[in-house]
Amino acid sequence: MSVDGRYFFPHSARFIAARASRPEKRVLRFEGADGAMLGEFPVRRVRISERLGNIPRRFRLPDGALFETADNDAADEMLRGTGRGNSAVDRLERSWRWVALSALLSLGAAYGFVQYGIPALAYWLAMATPVNVLDTVSKTTLQTMDHTFLKPSKLGQPQRIRAVVALSKVSVHGRRPGSYDLVFRDAPAVGPNAFALPDGEIVVTDQLFPLIQSDAELEGVLAHEMSHVDHRHGLQGLYQASLVPAAIALVTGDLSQIAQMATILPGILVEAGYSRSFEQQADDDAAAALNANGEDPAALAHLLARMDEKVCGKKSSCPPSWLGSHPATAERVQRLISERKPASKAPQGDLRK
Amino acid sequence: MASAEGAVAPTRHDFEFRGTGGEFFRIWILNLALTLLTFGIYSAWAKVRTRRYLYGNTYIAGHALDYDPSPWRILIGRLIALAFFLAYSISVSIWPQFLAGWYLAFIAFIPWLINSSLRFNARNTSYRNIRFDFTGDYVGALVNYVVWPIVGWSTLTILLPRARKARDYYFVNKHAYGGRPFETAFSTLSIYLIYIGGFLLFIALMAATIGGGFWLLGAMVKAKDFMKGPYVMAAILVPYVLSLTVWSTFLDIMVFNISLNHAKFDGRHELRSRVSPWVMSWIVASNLVLILLSVGLLYPWARVRQTRYETTRLSLLAASDLDEYTSELSAARSAIGEEVAGFFDLGIGL
Repeated sequence: MSVDGRYFFPHSARFIAARASRPEKRVLRFEGADGAMLGEFPVRRVRISERLGNIPRRFRLPDGALFETADNDAADEMLRGTGRGNSAVDRLERSWRWVALSALLSLGAAYGFVQYGIPALAYWLAMATPVNVLDTVSKTTLQTMDHTFLKPSKLGQPQRIRAVVALSKVSVHGRRPGSYDLVFRDAPAVGPNAFALPDGEIVVTDQLFPLIQSDAELEGVLAHEMSHVDHRHGLQGLYQASLVPAAIALVTGDLSQIAQMATILPGILVEAGYSRSFEQQADDDAAAALNANGEDPAALAHLLARMDEKVCGKKSSCPPSWLGSHPATAERVQRLISERKPASKAPQGDLRK
Repeated sequence: MASAEGAVAPTRHDFEFRGTGGEFFRIWILNLALTLLTFGIYSAWAKVRTRRYLYGNTYIAGHALDYDPSPWRILIGRLIALAFFLAYSISVSIWPQFLAGWYLAFIAFIPWLINSSLRFNARNTSYRNIRFDFTGDYVGALVNYVVWPIVGWSTLTILLPRARKARDYYFVNKHAYGGRPFETAFSTLSIYLIYIGGFLLFIALMAATIGGGFWLLGAMVKAKDFMKGPYVMAAILVPYVLSLTVWSTFLDIMVFNISLNHAKFDGRHELRSRVSPWVMSWIVASNLVLILLSVGLLYPWARVRQTRYETTRLSLLAASDLDEYTSELSAARSAIGEEVAGFFDLGIGL
């Protein structure tokens, strides 16, 4: 049995039609199509490329010549029993069963990594970030916001004092009491809201105060933001945002434009998912703090419902929860009301891993 | 030179690509699974198999290219890179004052890295039993990959096209096949025209994107729909990214075309590239959509589609048949040379 192909002369681009055969167990023979002898070598001294798809098979001969054949099946047949030139991976590639299994494994691993790996890694990175970095990040963030959509607060002294008192009542339940700070700003473009900066500053917009009907509501909002500070949620979000594209580039092994761009949309969806779980955790912590003070967690729920109405209009035009960065308000309200429990049953503060 | 050959019309050989998405899918998915199972170690083999498949399906005048590096060497290169990264991270966290020293060392290292990578790829790529080679030296890489870009940017991009020309000259002219050089030569004016075209295109695309974004934002302010974060992000980011893609594809392809269309091999064989920036933009953008909609599973088909288009728009105008070329890399040189040829494969191209 022989294999047809081309023989390239040693160190040369010149070739002739040729065939290869295995006259003895450990010997490969190369002859011209006319039968002229071109060379005979021990199998182990010939470098034989592994089969890969339909690409030509190459036999690099010790004298610098090259035999090349497109007939992969015949080459495999000729080499059978020599233990050379075959590849376990190629056999897997040609089996639909293994291909399907690989696809399942890859999808499963991708899901597991997105669901558990990235959050755990981002949590670890966020917690390992030095405090002076947090300060710098927070300062520049606040500066940027001050330049764009925040204005100096027009809030009166009584309201400010009310907020400071509320913070002092809940801050004892935070991880680092005394490290939280209030920042008041007017934000007509954003509306009623509060957000936390990594260094412990909690920005409260003037627009929030008209919506507040009880001190418990204000405490709930502040405890919610404290939880963001405690778990460094903002920082975790930053790390997650940079890990998602890196992970996609790693698995596709492709740093090209397609791969980079392909990360953007899934990145947004995945990050929105992470951010929802942060919000849930912050709600849980806020509920625990309110419970501990003997107040009703539902107070935060009522405020959320009012904020929602203010921002999204009467008919809820806010996006569905799977798409938004916050869980749908109805879900959050339900959850908070269900957490209306004795203080002893406070939820744990750890990120779910 | 010409008198011996006579002024015979050159033979045109269009490049062919014979790979298929289905076949590449099997290779890719196995690569992925094995890379995951081996915690990334297999990625060196995966890289070789991917490139071997793409090169091995690229045919010029009936002969396929071949790519046959040792995956072990790529793995070693990655381990060395990882070791350096760890050394850097640890030493900087203990002695922050070393940061500047590390950056200087890294910049000094870049030319070596670039040459190694180009040489590694060239020497492991062969066509008709003859290997390619890359003959750049440290100073050349320093000037063309480090100094020129700095000059280009520090003149507020005015000299950037000129820097790009220097880089492409270095890239093409230091490549060789069978000991014979590739050579490209095009005018500085022509590359400036491309960049001016690119600049105008950029302005037009950005005006459309930003205008669209403002309109959207205005509509949302009116509707008081400010909390639709993801929608806003998508509606602004997608056109933005598409614009950047069209723009960068335009620049890349036009410069690639001009470099190749003026390139000669051995002073008489010519190369031709007829890749259209618009078709290419369409392929890149539509591939992106396909990949997104399939959670990445259509990636192999997308990659093959793009490679096929790029490949089949190239041709070789051969002044003679290529039988005469012989390998100048003697056995001794390739044995020792390849050891130092470079561990790092950065995927640097035109």
